[in-house]
Amino acid sequence: MASRSSAIVRVTLGELMRVLPSARFGLAPGPVRRAAWARALRRSFERLGPAFVKLGQLISVRPDEFSAELVAEMQGMQDAVPAVPAAAIRAVITREFGAEPEVLFATFENEPLAAASIAQVHRATLAEEYRPVWGETLPAGAEVAVKVVRPGAAASILSDVEVVRRMALRFAGTRVTRRFDPVALVDEFAATVDRELDLRQEGRFADRFSFDFRDDPKVQVPRIVWTRSTSQVLTMEFITGWRLSDLEIARAAGVDCKGLAIHGATAFMRQVFVYGRYHADLHPANIFVTPQNTIAYLDFGIVGYLTPEERMNITQVMAALVYRDPDRALRYSEKLGVHVPPGHVEPVRAGLGRLLDGDVRPDGTRDFAHFGLGFLKLLGEHGVAIPSGYGLLIKSLATVEGVARALYPEIDIVSTAQPFTTRILGQAMGDPVRVRERMPAAVRAALRVLTE
Amino acid sequence: MTDDVMRFFATWLFTHEAADEEIKAAIRRGMAEGPEGMAGGPDAFVDGLAAMVEEEKEQLKRDLEARARGEEVAIEQQSDPALDEVRFEVAELRGRLDNIEALLEAMLRKLGE
Repeated sequence: MASRSSAIVRVTLGELMRVLPSARFGLAPGPVRRAAWARALRRSFERLGPAFVKLGQLISVRPDEFSAELVAEMQGMQDAVPAVPAAAIRAVITREFGAEPEVLFATFENEPLAAASIAQVHRATLAEEYRPVWGETLPAGAEVAVKVVRPGAAASILSDVEVVRRMALRFAGTRVTRRFDPVALVDEFAATVDRELDLRQEGRFADRFSFDFRDDPKVQVPRIVWTRSTSQVLTMEFITGWRLSDLEIARAAGVDCKGLAIHGATAFMRQVFVYGRYHADLHPANIFVTPQNTIAYLDFGIVGYLTPEERMNITQVMAALVYRDPDRALRYSEKLGVHVPPGHVEPVRAGLGRLLDGDVRPDGTRDFAHFGLGFLKLLGEHGVAIPSGYGLLIKSLATVEGVARALYPEIDIVSTAQPFTTRILGQAMGDPVRVRERMPAAVRAALRVLTE
Repeated sequence: MTDDVMRFFATWLFTHEAADEEIKAAIRRGMAEGPEGMAGGPDAFVDGLAAMVEEEKEQLKRDLEARARGEEVAIEQQSDPALDEVRFEVAELRGRLDNIEALLEAMLRKLGE
């Protein structure tokens, strides 16, 4: 473990040395210097392996705790690593099922489709039909994607988490970590990674997602083949389509990108405001548009859950954005654990008002990312700690906006949220308990208006 | 409020008329204002809600007319969410059993070796 700590320090120092000239040996202006340090950290994280790649991804969704330069750099973190040789992947499958891939599948391709820090994906075909949890039966011969945890990934990540935790304990309370609690960050990171290392959790969420959108023919989710899945192997329907980087081809093939952008944004609002569980990693690589004019969602490794109470409070905060109501935003953010110290309420409220007024793009559409990330930054500047779920949701909404804009640049995600937030709050107003509580005050107010 | 029944109904009618006018005005405002124009805080929310209720009312009218023509309306075609939830839980359980069965088969294969 000591040697791993030394390796981490060596790699990080090496990358910091590399950027020293561009940081003018620490004498460059603040933003230039911070950008250089951030670049060095990103490079060292990429070199240090899967645990650090995941840690970087977590930092990329916490603009409240880290500098804008570091967050931006970590957002560009490449989770594409050299593929593990097919023999090693085949060995994992054989160990998990007690049989060679050719026994389990009609065909299995040794050439991987994708290789990331935790898992690698191979194409195969089903040997026999399978009836999934939700949706139509997959016939024998159906193409599937087999996602396999890279051998040694779990042990290496868990060991690195331990090392990083010890480092975090050492740094806690120092000047370096004055804006965040390093131990809490590592613990949150450990919990996320733990979920990602058991692929069955991803499969179960995919099933639930399919069920939640059972009435929506435009949303497609890979069906999971449970007879060919374990904690280390997840077999799912293979979906073909175009990535967001290939939209020109999709448009030429007749895909309605504008319609799908609006539909995709609406689908996300439904996840958050109606179900309280959402795909929290909707970056462009995890979404396809398909020749059938549907949106396909992939990779449910990072998901967010909201309790009914949190869901209602989040809805209130979103309604505050839709209807430009800073008081409502602050009141319900408080209920979500965003505690603004009494002395900071007025400046935060003023800053929030400015954000609400300034989030309009030149084309007249509202800019959620500007508002959401600006709000997190504003809270960070006033020393307000952000609950992790709150930060994750805002980042997810900002990502969804980015994805939707890639499909259709003029989309207004705030206006997409309006019917959801309004309807849910309207329903809450009709709750009998609430009506009973508020009726006397409402009658008094009505009489006051009448007598005026 | 008052012992005079006529006065009570007059009050009720007056309230109804006033509320009716206010709701109509709120619907007009809610429909006219795009999201970029909403800067009114809680009042804007009430207007937005009123506009959505108006849309729902129009849908209800269309449904009633369709039903009068003997057609099946959309809301009646929806399945029962509670029943769907049970179906999903049963299906999910089947998935878990499939998974356990596969693991048992794997163990048997390994034991056979």
